[in-house]
Parts: sequence; C-alpha cells; structure tokens
Amino acid sequence: MRRFSLALTFCIFLVIAGVLVGLVLYPPLPALAASLASPEIRFAIGLSLLTSTISTAICVALAIPAAYALARYEFPGKKVVSLVLTIPLALPPLVAGIALLLFFGTTTWGRLLESMGFEVIFTPLGIIVAEVFVNLPYMIRILKSSFTAVNPRYENVAKTLGCTETGAFLQVTLPLARPGLVAGTTITWAKSMGEFGAVLMLAGATMMRTETLPMALYLNISAGDLDMAVAASVILILISLFALFVVEHFSDEAHVF
Amino acid sequence: MALHVESVSKTLGAFSLHDISFDVKEGEYFVILGPTGAGKTIVLETIAGIHTPDMGTICWDGEDITHAEPRERNIGVVYQDYMLFPHLTVEENIGFGLRQKKMARERIREAVEKTAGLLGIPHLLSRYPVTLSGGEQQRVALARALILEPRVLLLDEPMNALDSAMRERMRKELARIHRLTGTTVIQITHHFEDVFALADRVAIMNNGTIVQVGEPAEVFWHPKDTFVAEFLGIGNLIKGVARRAGSLIEIGAEGGVSIVAASGDEGDVVATLHAEDVIVSKAPFASSARNCLPGTVTELVPSGSTIKIVIDVGFPLVALLTRESCRELEIAPDSRVYATFKASAVHVIPVNGK
Repeated sequence: MRRFSLALTFCIFLVIAGVLVGLVLYPPLPALAASLASPEIRFAIGLSLLTSTISTAICVALAIPAAYALARYEFPGKKVVSLVLTIPLALPPLVAGIALLLFFGTTTWGRLLESMGFEVIFTPLGIIVAEVFVNLPYMIRILKSSFTAVNPRYENVAKTLGCTETGAFLQVTLPLARPGLVAGTTITWAKSMGEFGAVLMLAGATMMRTETLPMALYLNISAGDLDMAVAASVILILISLFALFVVEHFSDEAHVF
Repeated sequence: MALHVESVSKTLGAFSLHDISFDVKEGEYFVILGPTGAGKTIVLETIAGIHTPDMGTICWDGEDITHAEPRERNIGVVYQDYMLFPHLTVEENIGFGLRQKKMARERIREAVEKTAGLLGIPHLLSRYPVTLSGGEQQRVALARALILEPRVLLLDEPMNALDSAMRERMRKELARIHRLTGTTVIQITHHFEDVFALADRVAIMNNGTIVQVGEPAEVFWHPKDTFVAEFLGIGNLIKGVARRAGSLIEIGAEGGVSIVAASGDEGDVVATLHAEDVIVSKAPFASSARNCLPGTVTELVPSGSTIKIVIDVGFPLVALLTRESCRELEIAPDSRVYATFKASAVHVIPVNGK
C-alpha cells in the first residue's frame, strides 16, 4: 500500500508539473520575452492588476462588516441571508455573468444606474463589478470563520478596559483575525486576476479595452497566436504560485492564536 | 452600599438569571459560590455591562448604571482563562486600559512598572502571553485590570485552571492584593475553600438565582434550604487556631477542645470533617485514630437509611450512623458517647489575612 500510494502521488506530481512546465517552455524564450513585452500583453497586465486591486479592496471593505455581523450577531432571517450570500460560490461564473448582464441591461434599476454614468456593460467598470460579485462570498466566508474563531471574551475585556465596540473590534478582533484577512485578500485578488466567465458576459472581450489577462489568452488562442496566449498563461501561473505561497504561509500562522 | 443589584433577570440562549438581588459593600470581598452552570459568569458579565438586564437595575453608590457602557463603569474583569491579548506583549496588555485614555507613553510605562511590581511580574514585561505559565498569565490579567484602579474587580473562577498548590498560593496573593488596594472584589467559584480563605460575605447561587447571602459562617451553619446544605454537604466545619505538634498540627477549637489534623498550616484555620468519617462509640474507642472526643448527644435527625447525630463535644459535631448501629448502641438524646476520627480525615483550610 505504501509503495503504491507513494508511486501514485509521484506520478500525479509529474503529470501536473510536466503539463505546466511544458506550457511555459513551449515557445522559444526570445519569442516568449517578445510576447510579454508586446503592447497587448502589457495592456492586459495593467488592466488586470488595476481591476483586481480595486475589486479586492471593495470586497475587503464590504466583507469585514458583513462577516463580523454573521459571526457575532443573531438576527431574524440570518440563515436565509447566509445562504443567499453563499449562492454565488456554487454558481458557474458564466451564469453569474449573464445574470449581471440582464440586471444591468434590461431592468429599470440597471438603466437608471447607466443614466447616472454607472456604465458597466462592455466597459472596464463591468470587469470590477463582475469580479466583486463573484468573489465577495469567498471573502465573507473566510473572514466569518476567522472572526468566529476569536473568542468574544477578548472584546468583553477590551470594553471593560475602556474601548468602544468599534475600538475593541479594531484593536483586538481584527488583529487576531489577521491571518484569515491576509489569506482571504490574497485568494480574492488571485481569483480576480484569473476571472473569466463573469467578466466575459458582463464586460465582454474587447481587444485593448476590456482585455484582461484571461481575455488576452482567449482572444489570442481564438486567433491562433499561441505565443501570446502562452505569455498570458505564464503570468497567470506566476500569480497562482504567489497566492498559494501566501495562503500556505498564513494558514500555518492562523493556528497561533 | 457600594454595588446594589436589584431584581435582575436576563435570558441568554439556554441560560437565564431570575430575580437576582444582592448588595456589595465598599472594600468588601464578596464570593458567589455555586455549581457549574448556575449562571455565575452571566452575573459578572451583567455587572460589567457586557449584557443589559431584561429587567431590574444595577446601581453604584445610588447612581443607576444599568444601561451604562462597560467602559463608563470602571469595573475590572479577570476571566478564568485570563483572555490576555495574544498579539500584544505583557507590557502592552497591562497598559491597554491606560492607552485608551490617551495617556502619555512615559506615564503609561511608569504605571505599568508600578503595577507589575505590585504583582511581582516586572521580569515578564517584554514577553508574549503564549510563553507564560497559568499563574503568570493570571497575574498579568490582574495587573491589566488593577492598573485602572477599578471600583470593583470581578474575578471569574480565578483558581479554576490552577493545580492545588498554585491555588493555595493564588488565594494568599488575592488576599494580599485585596488588603493592599482596598478594591471591592466579587469572585465566583465552585470551591468552598475559597469562601473561608477570602470572603467577607458569600452568595450561594443555583439555577440562575441567588439562594442565600450572608457571612460564610452564617451560611455554612445555617443553610437556608436543602440545596445549600447538600451543596455545602461536608458535615463539620471547625474554626480554630492551629499550631504545629510534631509532624501534625493541633487545632484549638471552640469550647477548649483541641483536635489533631494532618497538615502543615498554622494560624487561623477552618477544618472540615465529613460526618461519615466520625466513628461513634459508648466507650473510648481503641484505634490508631488521633482524635477521640467525649460528648453528649443533643439531636438525632433521621434522613433515609441513616441518622444524623449531633454531639456536643465543646462544639456541635455531626456524625452519620445507620439506623441499625444507632439501635445497637442505644443512642438517644443526652447519651454520653465518644466521637473518634483520624487526623487524616480532617481537611484544613488556612484563613488568609482577614
């Protein structure tokens, strides 16, 4: 059993590593470098970084209070609220994307927002909206479990020592939930960098306008430009490795408290 | 009357308090004693302002503080698991309350050093709580509360997490701190030793209500109902002054009687002795037991298959006999009997610095 399971593990390792390394090594190095330096890929990197960073910041800002409320307070309909907040997790991003498209494109609310200058359909703004919609539930879930793990008695003590409720949260609970916050932020950011389905539906895949890294990959593979597609992939692989490293590092630290 | 709690009721999930009323005097050491699940911690948290009562009022010196925020009350809390902030050093933990007051750094540092000195922990200031022992964590938690000079210090089962030797040391420490600071203390516990060692007055709690309040002696010798009697069900409590006699101690009790106990404590003590450990005989009982006291039976109280016998040996001593033994020994009120018990059956509780 030992020998078999070890051999199988090693085989799986070889397949995964082989496939990824094969992708990275497919174009000759100078060609890869040239693709990476091309205006299209540089635009895609810039747009992806910008939209992911903004959407992650929005997710963090919304998820901290929402996750805290779900972790600490009892309120009527809490179960339903929890469930609805979780739905986008299980939904294929394409479905989330088409739902967003219909909401902004066909409803009165959507038109009202558009007339006020909040144009999301086939615009870079749409990328951010789609990423927030898809990733916010992850952020809330991760933070909720981090806040739940912090004993509320820490806050009680802080309050008797002169803190307001907000003060106790900021000085005690939030620092104690830091590993979850860092891991959640990193996962959200990495998922935003790679988000395809929801972004494709709402923001479209317009070259040099809504062309994030996954869109660059999609457009170039459609057009048969393999080198450009690989260049986009290489960056996405690097981002995944970085996210994995941060999460592994902080999930160890999460046990300290 | 410093703290006045009147008719407080509170329901919290599965737990609830009904109609809790008691007063605590300024400077008093007040102990709330009760079994696990009696609602003792909720009482403390309600006094601290963590929970708002559903009904009733809490007053301090006549001022209604029922709806005051915890931070406005100046009431310190030490939980049984200490709840030291793990992301802060000992120094930052102790200084936490003063930092909320926006006090200057140097003055916080001075105050922290002074309080740490009082508790004998200045050497721990740069450490993190995870690296401390239970006793050390407790001192830090006490320092963190005491630095604000709270008008009441609430202690949630402070001795629970400690082993029995540490418990004894901590009792002495709490008595010393109480003497030194003069702070009003409310402590909850389920060990009756704590009551004799520390309490000016005691409240007995069960099922979310307070069953009896009074001075320890009063509550122990005159339990109000069967719950109190059974919860405190130890049979005999003997107050006296202990002095060393060889490897044992001799306790000078009431009525000029002295009893021998296996202990090393000296000074004021309370000794407990289970009624089952007392052997009753008509003639002096020859055995290795060190205590054999003559006395007169004053009372016979039947309870189930046994009979509780109260013997006046200089103080009332309770023994437990089966109905058969009672008949065979022909024990009746006014019978002259001998009460025999081993030195090792006597459990000695030192009374600290009262």
